[in-house]
Amino acid sequence: MNSRIKKIINKLRSKAAVTIILLSSVVFSCTDVVDVAVPTEASRLVIEASLDWEKGTSGNDQTIKLSLTTPFFDTALDPVVGASVSVENVTSGEVYVFEDQQDGRYTISDFEPIINNVYNLEIIYNDETYIAQETLIPVPEINRIEQSRIGGSDEEELDLTIYFDDPENETNFYYATFLEGDDLFPLRVVVSDEFTNGNEVSIFYEENEADAEDEILPGDMVDINLYGISELYYDFLHILIEQSDNVGDPFATIPTRLRGNFINLQNPDNYAFGFFRVTEVVNQVYTFVEQEN
Amino acid sequence: MKHPTQLFRKPFLSLLFILINTLLFAQEKYTIRGSISDVINGETVLGASVYLKGTTIGTTTNEYGFYSITAPKGTYTLIVSYLGYKEIKKEISLTEDIKLNFELEEASNTLEEVIITADEGIEKLNVRKPQMGVVALKAETIELAPAVLGEVDLIKTIQLLPGVSNNGEGSAGFNVRGGAVDQNLVLLDEAIIYNTSHFFGLFSVFNNDAIKNVKLYKGDIPARFGGRTSSVLDVRQKEGNNKDLELNGGIGLISSRLAVESPMFNKKGSFLLAGRTTYAQLFSGLLDDLGNSNISFYDLNLKTNYEINENNKVYLSGYFGRDVFNISGLLDSNYGNASANLRWNHIFNDKLFSNLSLIYSKYDYQIILDFDQLDWISDIENFNVKYDLNYYATDKLKIDFGLNGISYNLNPGEIVPSTPSSSVNPLILDQKNAFEAGAYVSAEHTITDKLTARYGLRYSTFNRLGQQTITNYANNQPVVYNQELGIYQSGTAVGSTPYSRGQTMRKFGNLEPRLGLSYKLTDKSSVKGSYTRTAQYLHLLSNTISVTPLDVWTPSGPFIEPQLSNQYALGYYRNSNDNKYSFEVEAYYKTTDNRIDYIDGANLLGNNTIETEILNGEARAYGLEFLLRKNKGRFTGWLAYTLAKSEQRSFGGNAGGPGINNGNWYNTPYDRTHDISLSGVYKLSDKWTFSSNLVYQTGRPVTYPSGQFEYEGSSIVIYDERNANRLPAYHRLDIAATYKPNRRPDKRWKGEWVFSIYNLYNRMNAASITFNQNYNTGVNEALRTSIFGIIPSITYNFKF
Repeated sequence: MNSRIKKIINKLRSKAAVTIILLSSVVFSCTDVVDVAVPTEASRLVIEASLDWEKGTSGNDQTIKLSLTTPFFDTALDPVVGASVSVENVTSGEVYVFEDQQDGRYTISDFEPIINNVYNLEIIYNDETYIAQETLIPVPEINRIEQSRIGGSDEEELDLTIYFDDPENETNFYYATFLEGDDLFPLRVVVSDEFTNGNEVSIFYEENEADAEDEILPGDMVDINLYGISELYYDFLHILIEQSDNVGDPFATIPTRLRGNFINLQNPDNYAFGFFRVTEVVNQVYTFVEQEN
Repeated sequence: MKHPTQLFRKPFLSLLFILINTLLFAQEKYTIRGSISDVINGETVLGASVYLKGTTIGTTTNEYGFYSITAPKGTYTLIVSYLGYKEIKKEISLTEDIKLNFELEEASNTLEEVIITADEGIEKLNVRKPQMGVVALKAETIELAPAVLGEVDLIKTIQLLPGVSNNGEGSAGFNVRGGAVDQNLVLLDEAIIYNTSHFFGLFSVFNNDAIKNVKLYKGDIPARFGGRTSSVLDVRQKEGNNKDLELNGGIGLISSRLAVESPMFNKKGSFLLAGRTTYAQLFSGLLDDLGNSNISFYDLNLKTNYEINENNKVYLSGYFGRDVFNISGLLDSNYGNASANLRWNHIFNDKLFSNLSLIYSKYDYQIILDFDQLDWISDIENFNVKYDLNYYATDKLKIDFGLNGISYNLNPGEIVPSTPSSSVNPLILDQKNAFEAGAYVSAEHTITDKLTARYGLRYSTFNRLGQQTITNYANNQPVVYNQELGIYQSGTAVGSTPYSRGQTMRKFGNLEPRLGLSYKLTDKSSVKGSYTRTAQYLHLLSNTISVTPLDVWTPSGPFIEPQLSNQYALGYYRNSNDNKYSFEVEAYYKTTDNRIDYIDGANLLGNNTIETEILNGEARAYGLEFLLRKNKGRFTGWLAYTLAKSEQRSFGGNAGGPGINNGNWYNTPYDRTHDISLSGVYKLSDKWTFSSNLVYQTGRPVTYPSGQFEYEGSSIVIYDERNANRLPAYHRLDIAATYKPNRRPDKRWKGEWVFSIYNLYNRMNAASITFNQNYNTGVNEALRTSIFGIIPSITYNFKF
């Protein structure tokens, strides 16, 4: 629930952490990268099945990625080949079989996305069947994007806010990603309409604090995606975002294992990581402009 | 197995029988009573021992300096002693009831006197007293320990004692015998203090200038205390000098302090007013990043008393403390405790002492987020009425009894849009109301020359009251286990039940027996055993690694059971022949039922339906504590070692599924296998005193990664079982030196310099280690946050 408060509280927590660090760094700097021995557990299947239908496109081309989990400090991926991957539209009965590209990617070029239809994913790997179900959730158009220099953690730097209308009389969840310039990672935000139901909702973007060196300048571009998502996926992303924001935070919540929505039919304990989502998405690229004030 | 209260009933009845016998068949006896105070400032002395030489008859002064002893007709030597003070001996002829007040003179003026100070009385009584698991500290002891940035810190000093630890720097509160932070009852002049620290745990809220005495009960909690399962930290403020105007103060690197004490009403009363504040803009000045910001804290302590007549005295005490974090444009937050207590001491007769207290306390925090256009407010507040009586029945029996009622109002959170254009809808989470009541009777009974018992019984009730509307859940399951995903989720709401104002939503009642026995082996040694049952009705919701000032208290109610704890302890105590050294070892085993546990990813703040995020668990802790003290001489100090274990587990219960961590026992975040502290003070001369602390603790349990996977181009951490790993061990060495320049005896101004170095060898103790993907390189790394490296400091203290 209450993403907004959660966000605010998290913000306060991280500020508290920063404050402590600043307080103590009056005397001594105190955040450093250290070598730590961590345990390694047996590998599991990872399924990144994101069937996203961008507004104004056919949505026919889709990719599902399979890999195995790796030890925490490893840098190489471990892609999975030879699995069987298919998606069924439960509403229509249509089945879509994905083609193994032998590099961990499984693709299709004739997928038909239909709003509010229910889809089943089935993956057979190592004689075990993993299934998941999701509904294709629509997303409203972005009304407008505004840039400014006021607000956020840096009062000088350029930031932006996207606005869209939340439909009344229904519970909605949104996921937005903002990827600036050649950043490696997008900024991820999830929003529920619990406290803003039926209102115009805004989502704010500013440069990630970890990337403070790279100041946003006029002419810089931000690639924005806004997805309509399910409640379960919202919960999943919520934990994902919170745990990746925990850097150096002594007030972080006790971290937990991020489980997805896959069920292993033969051996429930050998569950898979990742998530099966079916969403509608709007994409916009925004270019910052020179601005008075 | 029988219920513990059933097991207890039989011995209780037989002891009651002995008690009645003692009362009925008493011989001709007389009572001596009075009060003990300090000759210099008139402060009453609590815990001083008063006894008749060569007998087992004796007592210690109560919280208000009062004592009463009864003995058969005869001639005696009455001895009054208190650690650090000159002993008083007085020949008395007991042929009628007498009243004797004593004024004790401090012995630490010259070195020789310190060395020869005899505290036989205290040692004798302590060996005999059935009370165990208790540590008393005077403000002076706390003041001598080296402190971070010279900020004398009670909470950090008690962590040097066996069985007490915390999560390291930057974490609020403390843990006693494997208990959680919220299981400590922290009292400042009887008022409940909900948050014990400033700056998120860096400094304590107790200003040492205003404190007289501190007592920590680690297990064997007397029946007069209730409401928390782990410990009671009983902090008493000074009453104020009733002989002369006195000024105390200090100038440190972080803060300055000033305390004024003075007699009032023709020496019928006195007051103390103490303040402490950080330097405004201190941190912002040093840090350009923070721009125009204000990070500060302050404390105000007040205490006054007025003696109406010999048998009636009133006290008023108060505390107000605040932390302010105002970081330009980003965050504007402040929080703190406030408390007040009005007390009336009344002496009915030579044997019956009473105290009535009316207490108010509150903890609140406020966050003003300009950018998000909202204010967030949360608070807990209580009114407390207490009536406590001490009845010094006979030379063998002292009875304490009393009543207590606390009315709670909890406001878990409120959102107020701060501008008309704010897109946030206002929200007030349900206010929670409750009434807690307690009645107790406790006897300290000298059964034979060797055997002393303390047996008490407390009955507590807790009434959760409306007005509130409670959500009902399908199958009565606020939390449901999702078999497919293997996770716990919120249950489905199916309607709700409204409760009107003052209507009982749920009522709890618990019998809490407290039993302690002491058996004297020799004049210098004894064994003691105790059993304590405690109930706790308020719970601090916290699933963060460290307790934060934002955590919210929640009362027991329709979905949350009271925590019930049983503690069994056994100890051996020995003093050396010259009483220079004392040694004690205590073993304890503690179980706690109904310890709240949190489902993975639980959302606790701003949540109206906490029940959908928690499971009902249990906890157990056991350990062995050693304490070797040197009480006299140039060198005084202690060595403490604790070997302990603290675990919890939670089954799915009504929610189904295997529970947290598959229902297995797992380490609590405050489990510390080894905990060693060495703390010493060396008085070289009248000018120089040196002190040092050495601390070693097993690293605390944390959750490390056991793998990773890639999702949307990011590396996602796979975390191991909850609290299955440990941070590196925590250790540090602190040193301090106090220099008192030459001063003429006739000069009133007395100054001293305190030089200290915290964490002398600059150990980078990890407050946390987090695991993440580097934002710029995409490589996974472990990031250590350590709070205090080596910190030298200098403080100037003065007295006028």
